[in-house]
Amino acid sequence: MSLIQVKDATRRYGATSALAGVSLSLAPGEKVALIGPSGSGKTTLLRLLGLQEKPSAGNVSTLGCDLCAGCAMSIRETRSKIGMLPQDLGLVANLRVIQNIVLGRSGTRNLLRTCRDLFFPSKSDRREIFESLQRLDIAEKMYDRTDSLSGGQRQRVALARSLFQGAEILLADEPLSAVDPARGRDVLKLLTSLSDEQGLSLIVSLHQVELAREFFPRIIGLKEGKIVFDGTPTDEQIAELYQS
Amino acid sequence: MNASWRMIFGRRWLLVILALLFAWTVGRLGTQIVNLSETADPWAASARFFGAAFSPSFSDQNPSLPATATPFLERLGTDLLRTLRYAVIAISIAIPLGLILGLFASEQWLPTNKSRPVLNSLRWILRMGLSLIRAIHELIWALLFLAAVGDSPLTACLALAIPSSAILGKVFSELIDEQIRSARNVITASGGSGAQGFIGGILPAALPDMISYALYRFECALRSSAVLGFIGIETIGLGIRRSFNNIYYGEVWTQLYVLIALVIIVESIGNLIRRRLRNGVPRRKEAPSDSETALRKTAPKDHFVRSLGMAAIIGILAAWNLGDILLKPGIEGQRIERLSRFLAQLTPDPVAPERPVPTWEERKKAWNTGSDQVIPWLTNLWKSPGQEALTNTVAMSVAAIILAGATALLLVPWGARTLASAKPLGLEMMGGKIRGLIGAFVRGIFILTRAVPEYLYAFLLVGILGPSAWPLVFALALHNLGILGRLWSEVVENRNTSEPREILRLGGSRLQAFLAALLPLSLNRFILFFFYRWESCVREATVLGMLGISSLGYYISIRESFLQYDQILFFALLGAAAVIAGDILSDVLRKKLRS
Repeated sequence: MSLIQVKDATRRYGATSALAGVSLSLAPGEKVALIGPSGSGKTTLLRLLGLQEKPSAGNVSTLGCDLCAGCAMSIRETRSKIGMLPQDLGLVANLRVIQNIVLGRSGTRNLLRTCRDLFFPSKSDRREIFESLQRLDIAEKMYDRTDSLSGGQRQRVALARSLFQGAEILLADEPLSAVDPARGRDVLKLLTSLSDEQGLSLIVSLHQVELAREFFPRIIGLKEGKIVFDGTPTDEQIAELYQS
Repeated sequence: MNASWRMIFGRRWLLVILALLFAWTVGRLGTQIVNLSETADPWAASARFFGAAFSPSFSDQNPSLPATATPFLERLGTDLLRTLRYAVIAISIAIPLGLILGLFASEQWLPTNKSRPVLNSLRWILRMGLSLIRAIHELIWALLFLAAVGDSPLTACLALAIPSSAILGKVFSELIDEQIRSARNVITASGGSGAQGFIGGILPAALPDMISYALYRFECALRSSAVLGFIGIETIGLGIRRSFNNIYYGEVWTQLYVLIALVIIVESIGNLIRRRLRNGVPRRKEAPSDSETALRKTAPKDHFVRSLGMAAIIGILAAWNLGDILLKPGIEGQRIERLSRFLAQLTPDPVAPERPVPTWEERKKAWNTGSDQVIPWLTNLWKSPGQEALTNTVAMSVAAIILAGATALLLVPWGARTLASAKPLGLEMMGGKIRGLIGAFVRGIFILTRAVPEYLYAFLLVGILGPSAWPLVFALALHNLGILGRLWSEVVENRNTSEPREILRLGGSRLQAFLAALLPLSLNRFILFFFYRWESCVREATVLGMLGISSLGYYISIRESFLQYDQILFFALLGAAAVIAGDILSDVLRKKLRS
């Protein structure tokens, strides 16, 4: 059974099409890097896979849920299993680390519980968050304001939020843009090892071809909204991808 | 011609336009600044008044007071507490109301489905309603409420609370819509509802700015509360008016000093809270990172802000529960009768029913017989005196903001912290001590001038110079000098770029660095704040006329003594229209300058 099934997906914004007939499928636990020049449709593809938008044509089904055709579970329930790591991380700067993380479980909790979580998180939540922060090596920051953390630490907070959420798929949009270049390798090591440990499926959009080759067995090349290659690309294929 | 030349020419035109506008206001308002009887000597009068500044009085200046009368200082204390109380009650109504209004005036709650356009237009109607409510001045609300529900403390509180709620609603909605949507999107993308996204992703991010603005509004409510004294509500303004009219200038100054001190204390507490909310507090105690409990117990907490928050809650509870009864007891029927009479008075004259407490039938009859007279009634009011009153009001606001702007522009290079020191912009220079003193003095002028409300200045200046438009203009200009001076200084202080430093390094003076680099770099933001303040000048100018100078406020106070509330409503709405027009104009200009 595949987690993600995309068939001929097209997405148009007005006259420009960001995606033009993309097809792919993804098995549980797979790790995929999405590479391609700016404006090639990486972010749009991630948004479609995350069920945040409908395709203009074709089908996108994630965890058995297709916004156009119907869902096995409710949309909210499906989304609660999809972790999103946007480029700017989507953290509230003036909230504490724990508050940002606890919000990850909004999909399975009601409004009242969310309000309570912000002020008085339950004991079990606290323990769980603490343990996952320990694993990410920033446990001592749990009660600090998020904007007092460095870029790399903030990224770990965002990651901890997805782990606390209990995501089965993690969609990360250029996770290396927020950390300094020397740390890029560490971030990807962390992401892929988490994926191996927890059987988390991973789709990461990247600009760094070398890092993509090092960490991802499967690389999808996008150009002008189309898939140019899918698998292990040759040097010629890479060169062609970035040729204008 | 390249872009920067066009910019400079554009700004020169602005100067020319402002000069022409000022000339127009002088033509309009006349050149007579002093308007006293021939025998009166304005110099002697002002010497007496300002001389008393050095000898404030701590006991009654009236020698013939009976021994049983409340002593001056006790009266002053009660007035001050009452002033504070009304402001606290007003803001405690305005904040929750503003929050609800602000949420609905923002884009946050709009769904993305087909009903969006319809709901969005409802949202715009709400926004326009808020603009209208906030365009009408607290004093006018107070006059209307006095007539509608009678003289009770609640009247004062409501008069302050209603425009405050509308302003808070407008600003809150803008703050909510300004926030980056990313955190909210993550919450909804992981299955959270829109409401959860708002509570978790938008509101916390907007909260520091919202608290900061609410604190500023509290400061404004405090000043307005004092001003309500001038229409007879027993706040500190009433005390000042009585003492001034009895020529007990020593008492006047004592009360002024106390009011200024209160406003400055509130402002400084607000600044402290603002800084702390923006920066957060650092962790004081390192905790072992292997114990969640230890981490939680040593989590950085801002005890200062928390205890002030507690104090605020206690203060609000005290304001509601202690002191005079908020709504004076009356028989239910009387209150309804009063309201009904007020509504009849508020009805335009041609369609007003004859009896003060009419039945529905009488109302209908009056409407049927007089409805075709409403338009001529309005046209007549517009022709005389509406048109002239409106023009005078606008002319006063324009003259005032130009005066305030010109003075502030002269003072800012001396007051801005980055220039007024031994190390301007981080460069070692001569004459630091003197410059530092001058800087502190100028900033002191800014603080003092903005602490006193416009209406209070106007009252005193009219008392000294006699009734003419210029004392009102000076009053508006003084208060706005303080505000513009502070806002502009902050702009200059935040502009820490290399160009002005380079001028100093090459041997230029501080003034040269200001004129050649800091001023051109900050000019757009200067103009932005200039128009923002002009808009509030228009609002204030509509009521200043109540002191007896031919403008909208003058006709409002005249009609008030004849209980012609229909005409009051007309003039109030005329003023509101001018404020809204100024609002739109300054919005357009600000958008142009930003782009």
